[in-house]
Amino acid sequence: MPGQITLRIITPEAVVLDRTVSSVKFMALDGSMGVLPGHAPMVTALGPGELVADGEGQSEHYFVSGGFAEVAGGTLRVVSDACERPSDIDVERAGQAAERARTRLKERRVGDAETFDLLRAEASLRRALMRQNLAGRRRT
Amino acid sequence: MASIQELRQRITSVGNIKQITRAMEMVATTKLRRFQDQAVASRPYTEEITGLVQRLAAMLGEELEARPLFCPGQGQKSLMLVVSSDRGLCGAYNSNLFKTMESWRAERSEEIDYFVIGRKAFQYMDRRDFNIVRYLAEPGLEAMDYAQAAMVGRMLTSEFTGGAYGEVFVLYSAFESMVKYVPTVVPFLPIGGGAGQDGEQQEAAPAGEPLLEPDAETIFEHLVPRYLETRVYNALLEALTSEYASRRFAMKNATDAANDMQDTLRGIYNRKRQESITKDLLDIVGGAEALK
Repeated sequence: MPGQITLRIITPEAVVLDRTVSSVKFMALDGSMGVLPGHAPMVTALGPGELVADGEGQSEHYFVSGGFAEVAGGTLRVVSDACERPSDIDVERAGQAAERARTRLKERRVGDAETFDLLRAEASLRRALMRQNLAGRRRT
Repeated sequence: MASIQELRQRITSVGNIKQITRAMEMVATTKLRRFQDQAVASRPYTEEITGLVQRLAAMLGEELEARPLFCPGQGQKSLMLVVSSDRGLCGAYNSNLFKTMESWRAERSEEIDYFVIGRKAFQYMDRRDFNIVRYLAEPGLEAMDYAQAAMVGRMLTSEFTGGAYGEVFVLYSAFESMVKYVPTVVPFLPIGGGAGQDGEQQEAAPAGEPLLEPDAETIFEHLVPRYLETRVYNALLEALTSEYASRRFAMKNATDAANDMQDTLRGIYNRKRQESITKDLLDIVGGAEALK
């Protein structure tokens, strides 16, 4: 069907979403990206961020924790560790995670070789902030 | 021969045991269903990730050889992750696993270190000369979710990249059907064999080169750890499914055996009772006869 694209969001726990929409916006690693029907085949890595699916005059928002998106033959498949609707976000947990990550970052700030841990703390902080941000925006 | 009293006691105690095994069977059935559902739910994800790895690997081609996770490590030793159960009463599940482990070890010449998940394997290996590096006791196997499995995957990967090991393996019970669970050793790192083989079947699928954003390198770097994590997650799920299938089977057998036993015992008991009643009657009749 022209003007439509199938969006499938897949996580290890379930297929979160499988429906046709008219456009999708999401956060790629280096910035926001949009996919419209008829997009060329593409594979991209995702950063933590919001995914917006527009269809039938209404748009749906999701939090995606990172992962990959693949466009092939009129289907956009988003493969992610975690995907939540803003209303399902556990704000308290996100707050705690942000706090944890912040202290870890503070402790490691000075001359530390463990870049791996640092990167992970940073990533988890970014995820937590994004979750909070999204959840907050939905509520107001 | 046991007395009537003793027989009666045995019948009751067999009945009690039967109740317990039947309850355990039912619990195992429910849990089995839960883990099966989880395994089914994770399948699209696994397929998608594996597919991506294969397609990108095909695109990168020769470059792949140079990547650290794709060529054997420098170390002489090997590392193995053993997934067993935390609890017993699941038939031959664990002993089959250990048998496979022993025979696998006998074939290897190098030194092998072990990561262990599941209390049963830890108990078994701790008493023998296995070199357990880490015993992952917390959280219990059943409480493992994707995040935890991912952590285990990362631990294995960092041990490998640390340079101490040449190869990494995973030993778990693959779930083939409700009555068949096969302890399997699969090579985990370096990536190669597994991903390559499946790739041959899929070769026809990709039509034209897709755009890569930002580039193949970056995507690959993000993708490979995920791929390894899913493999651990799946191994854990399959091990759990096998465990519960095995336990259900064992408990069903126990319940059936208890039923049979109760029937036989009841038969003997009734015969005995009959005998004693006949004897009593004869005594009474005999006594009455004598009084005349």
